[in-house]
Amino acid sequence: MAANADIFEEREAWRRPLTISAVLHVALFGSIFFYAAFFAGRSGGSWGNSGDDTGNAMSATLVTTVPLPANPQAKPENVLANESKGVTQSVPKPEEKDKTAIPIPDRNAKTKIKPSKQPPVTPTHEQPREVAKVSNVVPFGQGGPVSGPYGTFSAAGAKGGFGFNGAGGDFGTRFGWYVDAVRRKVSENWMKYEIDPSLSTTRRVYIYFEITRPGAPANIRIEQSSGIPSLDQSALRALQRIDTFGPLPPEYSGNRVAVEFWFDPPVRGQ
Amino acid sequence: MHPTIKMIRRFAIVAVLLLMAAATATAQDWIRTGTGLGMEKVRLAVPDFVPASADPQAGELVKTFNDTLWGDLQQAGIFDMVSKSFYPIGSFSAPATIKFDAWGSPPPNAGMVAFGNLGVSGGRVLVQGWLFDVKNQQSPQVLGKQYNETASVQSARIIAHRFADEIILRLGGGLPGIAESRIYFVSTRSGNKEIWSMDYDGANQQQLTHLRSIALSPHASPDGSRVALAGIFHGNWNILMYSNDLNRLVSFPVFGGGNLSPAWSGDGTKLAFSSSRAGAPEIYTCDANGGSLKRLTAVKGPDVSPVWNPKTGVQIAFVSGRTGLPQIYVMDSDGSNVQRVTDTGYAVSPSWSPNGQFLLFSWIRHYGPGAPGGDDIYIMDVASHKWVQLTHDSRRNDFPSWAPDGRHIVFQSNRSGSEQIWTMLADGSQQRQLTTSGTNSQPNWGSH
Repeated sequence: MAANADIFEEREAWRRPLTISAVLHVALFGSIFFYAAFFAGRSGGSWGNSGDDTGNAMSATLVTTVPLPANPQAKPENVLANESKGVTQSVPKPEEKDKTAIPIPDRNAKTKIKPSKQPPVTPTHEQPREVAKVSNVVPFGQGGPVSGPYGTFSAAGAKGGFGFNGAGGDFGTRFGWYVDAVRRKVSENWMKYEIDPSLSTTRRVYIYFEITRPGAPANIRIEQSSGIPSLDQSALRALQRIDTFGPLPPEYSGNRVAVEFWFDPPVRGQ
Repeated sequence: MHPTIKMIRRFAIVAVLLLMAAATATAQDWIRTGTGLGMEKVRLAVPDFVPASADPQAGELVKTFNDTLWGDLQQAGIFDMVSKSFYPIGSFSAPATIKFDAWGSPPPNAGMVAFGNLGVSGGRVLVQGWLFDVKNQQSPQVLGKQYNETASVQSARIIAHRFADEIILRLGGGLPGIAESRIYFVSTRSGNKEIWSMDYDGANQQQLTHLRSIALSPHASPDGSRVALAGIFHGNWNILMYSNDLNRLVSFPVFGGGNLSPAWSGDGTKLAFSSSRAGAPEIYTCDANGGSLKRLTAVKGPDVSPVWNPKTGVQIAFVSGRTGLPQIYVMDSDGSNVQRVTDTGYAVSPSWSPNGQFLLFSWIRHYGPGAPGGDDIYIMDVASHKWVQLTHDSRRNDFPSWAPDGRHIVFQSNRSGSEQIWTMLADGSQQRQLTTSGTNSQPNWGSH
């Protein structure tokens, strides 16, 4: 036990090396500090500095600020264009050789090509296919409602102002002056200031009504709304203001005429 | 083909045939039309009617007829009259003489042609007139008329008026012609203010009343049989009634106080007027025979010049000074729901349009000494209170009155130096002086 105690009691001379070490460290740090303070900024150039100290330096962009998706989100699969090869396979069309083509001599150009014994073939061009003329084609923007009796309409005259159909079917041709009078009268009684002035798109409202034998409008209703209440109401009121269009022509045998009247509002800025 | 498909096809064919049969059964024609297809007026050519007889009177009658017909159609305001210098050379007395290409293409480029002939025989004048749509060669005839009257200048005028009204009725979409209407007004040409009447174009001016005092504010009944007016009778302002059938005044109750500005209701069964029988002038109504007197207003300040809404018959416009300067008000015919429609200035003489939509009135918008503007006629949409000025700085314009067609207006103006009767279209165009003799004022446009 005493020997062990002696070991612990032995004391080495630590004081001197520790002092030297501390001094050397202080000297080392001091020299570094001194160098940095007096020499570091005076040699070399600053990166990105063009020599102008007014601040045109490029600034390195941190990678984290680049708007890259942090986590690519799973997108819904496009059912029309995806990488699946699908259940069918498209086979490239086999190249067809034109029988009338003259072969190009590839080896010996001096070899005369024997004329073909086949009779010359007259080139046949495919004639333009005749498109069947459909009588119920309606010009863009002038079509009526898709349902109802309008399907039987002949709209050939729509551009000119009216089309007609029916039993006699010739009211418009026989009494064009009456149709013009109806158009003028309705247009005169249509107060455009009743429409929402902020209207900026072209809309059309269709009003249905009938003209009785004495000329009074009857059964006035909106056949197809424009989606703009003020326009629909102004069109309805135009008809409601009218007492009579004048008696139907005496030569006309029918009792009443059905009219579909459309209203195109003036669009702001036009 | 598969038998099922065959069956479906057969069924479809049968269904289509049935639908076509159903469409044929409902004997009804269809028209499709709309706005924005051009609002141009009808280009109307009216070549002179041709004398159909060698009678010496025929020449004079034809001239009267042609002038009257041309004037009526030009005044209608719905036609673009083709100048006669553009017409093809020739005389056009019958349908066979009309060449469609010559009329329907430039220079005349007419849409419609009215033509015919006038003959005199045995003291009778016979007129044949046609209206042709020259753009429609398949069925060109719009109108064909024949008139037979006693041969006189007046008959020629009446026939021309009737033929013009027929044309206007057809091409104007049921627009009632005014060629046979009459205008009633106050004139001083006899020395006193009496009621006179004249044709709508200023012709045939006749004196109706002979009160030898003062007669004012004539108002014709809707059927044209009577004229209500205000006159000094037995020392008081009373409502008087003139019968066009009897050509004299007929009896009407005396209400007491000062009674002024009578106005007929649209159905001709009631009268509205202002009466000061209980103090300040207030609005009263009574039956056409003067019974069932009823007071409508009871507010401090004068209420005068009532006019009915001819369309509804349940509204009355009137002038009230309850807030100071006179303004136009509208109320229900029982006196309720009073609304002021003019906001400023000095507004008097309301007149309600036949369709009930518009009010005409005389308005000094900036009232006071040195104020700009004058006394002008204005038209107002009753529902929206939007208004348009029809006359512009042409001195004093007052007492507007609607024509039965709702397209013409008669009014008084002193722009020619003295108060005279003028007419214009409801948009302020075609202003035309009708009277020149004496001073003439307070016109009212009657139906007959």
